[in-house]
Amino acid sequence: MAEFKLPRHSRIEKGREIDAADKGAKRKKKFSIYRWDPDTADNPRMDTYEIDLDKCGPMVLDALIYIKNEIDSTVTFRRSCREGICGSCAMNIDGTNTLACTKPIEDVKKTQVRITPLPHMNVVKDLVPDQNHLIAQYNSIEPWLKTDSPAPTRERLQSAEDADHLNGEDGHGPAGCILCFCCSTSCPSYWWNSDRFMGPATLMQAYRWISDTRDEATGERLDQLEDPFRLYRCHTIMNCTNTCPKGLNPAKSIGEIKKLMVTRK
Amino acid sequence: MKLKWEESGLKAPLARAKGLGSAKEGSEHWFMQRVTAISNLILMAWLIWSVIHHVVGASHADFTAWLAAPVNAILMILAVISVFYHAALGTQVITEDYVHHEGLKMIKLIGIKLFFFGAAVACIFSIMKVAFGG
Repeated sequence: MAEFKLPRHSRIEKGREIDAADKGAKRKKKFSIYRWDPDTADNPRMDTYEIDLDKCGPMVLDALIYIKNEIDSTVTFRRSCREGICGSCAMNIDGTNTLACTKPIEDVKKTQVRITPLPHMNVVKDLVPDQNHLIAQYNSIEPWLKTDSPAPTRERLQSAEDADHLNGEDGHGPAGCILCFCCSTSCPSYWWNSDRFMGPATLMQAYRWISDTRDEATGERLDQLEDPFRLYRCHTIMNCTNTCPKGLNPAKSIGEIKKLMVTRK
Repeated sequence: MKLKWEESGLKAPLARAKGLGSAKEGSEHWFMQRVTAISNLILMAWLIWSVIHHVVGASHADFTAWLAAPVNAILMILAVISVFYHAALGTQVITEDYVHHEGLKMIKLIGIKLFFFGAAVACIFSIMKVAFGG
């Protein structure tokens, strides 16, 4: 049943306040960061670091890296490419799931930039969520080209128009997904039923293969999704499309799958 | 009963993600929810119009005479079927969304089917009783 309060050991406490900006700093900003260490028995806390923005780059990830390098090396987060293509630094910034590397600090008008891990996930440490289940769900849709006809002697051909179904005419098609899981973890339906609901990221990838003209397993893929929970927990809430840091539209992909389910009846 | 998708320290993540497999149904439920939504829209518009023009201020005799007219009785029965069918489908979705105790969920899902089916039959019987001059 619904729980209205976090378990006793999960309640967030007020953490430390560290002013690391020089007195003469002109552009100061506070970053309030979720901290939880599995090696201690302490509750999670929000630590606040005040920094001089003239000393770090323009993005939230730059500020996090500055804090980790210069102030507190124990701050833990995933990051890799710092240009929005690897999907590692997905986190909740100022109330919205997004990529820290493509989110300008300037966009947050509040005095504090509040940073928490992706919502409703088990936390490994600080801003690092446990993505095992999300990745397993992605694996379960068998995200590779499946064919019965014999392998051709050269590439499998696809017209430019057919490729547009995957890449999108504007480059915002389902193949543009970087699996950061901002969408899945923003979806209330995924929060309540993530054990069985696939979530928008995985469903959009399922559609990426369903709509691929070279793939010959469309029917099997639809069979695997035809389920009250796997697909139909989606109630078109649209948080997924709202939050996608790549500007993709998972809700549309899910809608297309639902249309195909009815079309094949 | 411990289900396959539930937390278990040694359960492979893929086994949890696959769970008990696809139920191979759900599109019919989704489609009928849309069909009954359309019929609700039409029948409710008729019902509101009827209540304003024929029911408000009418005597008991006037009302039963109105309801006994074949077109009205048929539309009223259709409205009852459409509304209760739609309600049963909708409350099933809400239950599946929010009730996470498997036993409690099953009791609710069975209860929903029995209640809405029973209520629809009672309503239809009442309309027919009036229509056939009971």
